[in-house]
Amino acid sequence: MLVKFNLNGLDVEFNVKPGEYLLDTLRANGVKSVKKGCDGSSCGACIVVVDDKPVLSCSVLTAQVEGHRVMTVESIQEEAAEISEYYSRHGADQCGYCNAAAALMIHALKKENPNPTDEEIADYMVGNLCRCTGYHGQQLAIKEYLGGKK
Amino acid sequence: MKAKSFQRASSIEEAYKLVKQSPRNKVVAGGLWLKKGGAEVDTLIDLSLLGLDKIEDKKDYVEVGAMVTQREFELSKLVPEMAREAVKSIMGPGFRNVATIGGSVYGKYGFSDVVTGLLGYKVDLVFYPEAIVSLLDYVKKPGFYDGILTHIRIYKENLKAFFKKVEITALDYPILNVAVTRGKEYRVVVGSRPLVATRCEKTEAYLNEGGKDFAKAAEMAVEELNFGDSIATKGEYRKQLALTYVRRGLEEVSK
Repeated sequence: MLVKFNLNGLDVEFNVKPGEYLLDTLRANGVKSVKKGCDGSSCGACIVVVDDKPVLSCSVLTAQVEGHRVMTVESIQEEAAEISEYYSRHGADQCGYCNAAAALMIHALKKENPNPTDEEIADYMVGNLCRCTGYHGQQLAIKEYLGGKK
Repeated sequence: MKAKSFQRASSIEEAYKLVKQSPRNKVVAGGLWLKKGGAEVDTLIDLSLLGLDKIEDKKDYVEVGAMVTQREFELSKLVPEMAREAVKSIMGPGFRNVATIGGSVYGKYGFSDVVTGLLGYKVDLVFYPEAIVSLLDYVKKPGFYDGILTHIRIYKENLKAFFKKVEITALDYPILNVAVTRGKEYRVVVGSRPLVATRCEKTEAYLNEGGKDFAKAAEMAVEELNFGDSIATKGEYRKQLALTYVRRGLEEVSK
């Protein structure tokens, strides 16, 4: 079936299977920044932003985003670069596998709640697993990044 | 997921017609359990164009559309606080932006935080074709209702509420859920046993008749419930947890 949506500002059209997930459609069409981690709605590596809301693309059918706006890290490159500065300052960055999804989460958090408490940051990021650095450095980096924007 | 077609229903009548056509046609709410359950489906029926994504204040109750996401539900000031709290601790926001309240309720999953929280309130489920079923009757009766869940009505009550989720890590299924409320009457709910949440009606009767011994009430509650084993833990451990949290819940709402 044909599905049309807006991907990073461009109107796109993909021929997909009815039960195909957005993660697979994106990766099959070259958007490799979206990672297939657990493929079981747990790890958060596949996060994309649909209509300003972060969602697990492994669990959203491509057909469900017909007519919606889908955003991957490609459309927030400058912001992601800035976030990575804060990540490296706090040793929160290692293999990078989960970073694109984390950057999208931070982007969405900033829009939704520009001045979050520590607990709100932790609650927002809880579904984004990282197996390298642990979460303390990330928490500090996000806090400083958002604080620096005040 | 294996599916032969995907149809965005343009009316609830059309959606229901598709449901009735074949038991292999399935309504996609958020779609999370369809994926986890590894369903093989003929037609996926999408309800996203039917205006079921609103939360409205209707004087005596708050009406929540079945397609409202868990995240919208937890952020809505119209929804009573404990019901929101029960939803807030489910996975991360990326999950809760996909999962719907209707999907959680209709599926009445054993691990459901949503159902446990809602059972603390007077809640009716609205189905198409027209039928209203109380949430308590729906969870007690085996099987699923023959119809499409369209709305969830949470009646407004002045009550004190307690909710406790016991889990190993933030991303695990709960190993026990407890909700206790006290308005005109007590409601005691225990879920993830690992069976779906239910109310402890004998215990409630004791409390509503003026029973004040909360430790005894907690013992009565675990007596009338069944606890089972799962990969995560044993039924006996769940029972011990329930003893403690039912008592604490009762103390909390009776302050």
